[in-house]
Amino acid sequence: MARNRDIPLVRREALDGAYVLLTFRHPEIAHEARAGQFVMIKAGISAEPPLRRPFSIMSVAPEREEFTLFLKAIGQGTRRLAAMDVGDLAQCLGPLGQPFVAPPEGSEALMVAGGYGIAPFLMLSRQLQASGGAGRVFYGGRSAGDVQLRSPFEHLGATLVVATEDGSLGVTGRVTAPLEAYLDAAAPKAVLYACGPDAMLHAVASLAERRGLPCQVSLDPWMGCGIGTCLGCVVWIQKPGEARPKYRCACTEGPVFDSRHVVWT
Amino acid sequence: MDVKLGVDVAGMALKNPLIAASGTFGYGVEYESLMDLGLLGGIVSKGLYLEPRLGNPTPRIVETPAGLLNAIGLQGVGVRAFVADVLPRLTKHDTALLVNVCGDTVEEYAEVSRILDGAPGVTGLEINISCPNVKKGGMAFGGDPRMTFEVVDAVRKATRLPVIPKLSPNVGDITIFARACEEAGADALSCVNTLLGLVIDVESRRPRLAFGTGGLSGPAIRPVAVRMTWQAARAVRIPVLGIGGIATANDVLEFLIAGARAVQIGTANFVDPGLYERVLTDLRAYLERHGLTDINQVVGTLEYPGDAERERRG
Repeated sequence: MARNRDIPLVRREALDGAYVLLTFRHPEIAHEARAGQFVMIKAGISAEPPLRRPFSIMSVAPEREEFTLFLKAIGQGTRRLAAMDVGDLAQCLGPLGQPFVAPPEGSEALMVAGGYGIAPFLMLSRQLQASGGAGRVFYGGRSAGDVQLRSPFEHLGATLVVATEDGSLGVTGRVTAPLEAYLDAAAPKAVLYACGPDAMLHAVASLAERRGLPCQVSLDPWMGCGIGTCLGCVVWIQKPGEARPKYRCACTEGPVFDSRHVVWT
Repeated sequence: MDVKLGVDVAGMALKNPLIAASGTFGYGVEYESLMDLGLLGGIVSKGLYLEPRLGNPTPRIVETPAGLLNAIGLQGVGVRAFVADVLPRLTKHDTALLVNVCGDTVEEYAEVSRILDGAPGVTGLEINISCPNVKKGGMAFGGDPRMTFEVVDAVRKATRLPVIPKLSPNVGDITIFARACEEAGADALSCVNTLLGLVIDVESRRPRLAFGTGGLSGPAIRPVAVRMTWQAARAVRIPVLGIGGIATANDVLEFLIAGARAVQIGTANFVDPGLYERVLTDLRAYLERHGLTDINQVVGTLEYPGDAERERRG
């Protein structure tokens, strides 16, 4: 059950550029979170910026009651979080939202991430491994600095394929290229999972549609509250049997949706 | 020392002066698992029309300095679904339940009010004549004193429940609207709704919200809301509920001192569901520090400087 707490930062690891790993203590999140779920969090209790921000949970350490976020400091909210010192308090509500659904037995999990969209796939990879499954991660970014979260996957023994648009690391081009090449070569029975910019999500969803593969996407619209009351994060979703799409809250009915149900705008 | 936080507003006995504002607390049930709803003096539901409403296209919200600009457009389940599905769940909580009533026409306001009049568990009706994010109704009624009178008069005749029009800040003189409501038989006033605003994306030269303009809320509007609450409270005999950017006990006290009998907390619900407990603790501490025993002793105690003092030159 989601719980609202003022929580301390217990560890901070700055990465290259604007990326940072932040570890907080929050018992409910550490014990109950599933891959794909998120937290609403804000550094301190100042009035500025007003709103908390949503972040996918990257990993949990239940024995220490900790969870870790991987974020890129790009706006006011993320910059204030990234600037926190160990011991500082953040306001945090979680775990929130619907998690990824594990692939059926015999299906491979193909995770497609753009930039900081990689975060939930570390947790998903660990869950898959814990249940004896395996996954393959396609990790794309503009350049090498945008695909920094690699060693935890290598540590796990997961298969990681990196793509950068400027060719500074891995395959040159968009992340969907190596994904498509793999699907061509191996024709696996697979479930696609995608988290990243909207254009990438749409491209992966179209790819899945063309190949007849199930696909789950984690959407990231602007969110006000995280619990379905502000109605700011609604997205058009049309489920089987519904005559027309409905606005559904990405925070409570998502952020993970079956890509076939998403009405791409 | 035990201090009294209970207030009486238009015949509604509230256990404390903190009410969750319409549109910021869902239908209340969303917060059930996060807090004890019994901590609240009351809850105002999301605005309800006769029929379900889709609301506006997205993006619907954008953050602003110390504020939030929204154009949700009153997405909602409609009054019948609220009465059938939500109300039975809400009534088990020990808090006052106010319902925010909307309409495209005067008749719709009256009809929604009639339906709620017979619904068990409803404590009062807040009349939404001030939503800036709908094309019909809303602010169109709250921006014209004669229309304000007509809507409140029609609702008054449709219900025995306390009737509380929610006033728009997007007017020149709020006292005209406050008096119109009082004359039409309102029992109290909610003061105020959001301020009409516009945020522009300079790259695309388009509004950041799909609807265009939106309603500004949050700490950014508090001084405006306190001023309007103060003006309205002096203009009428019926009680006023202060609303606008409240997040702390200090903010609550500003409104009470300005003349509000109770307050509504809005945007802050999105930011911190844990705030009610903290605000109540801090309100008690304030009363004790000032040697007061009852929150009502604070209401309307503003010592506003007289003209001579305001104009005195150093």
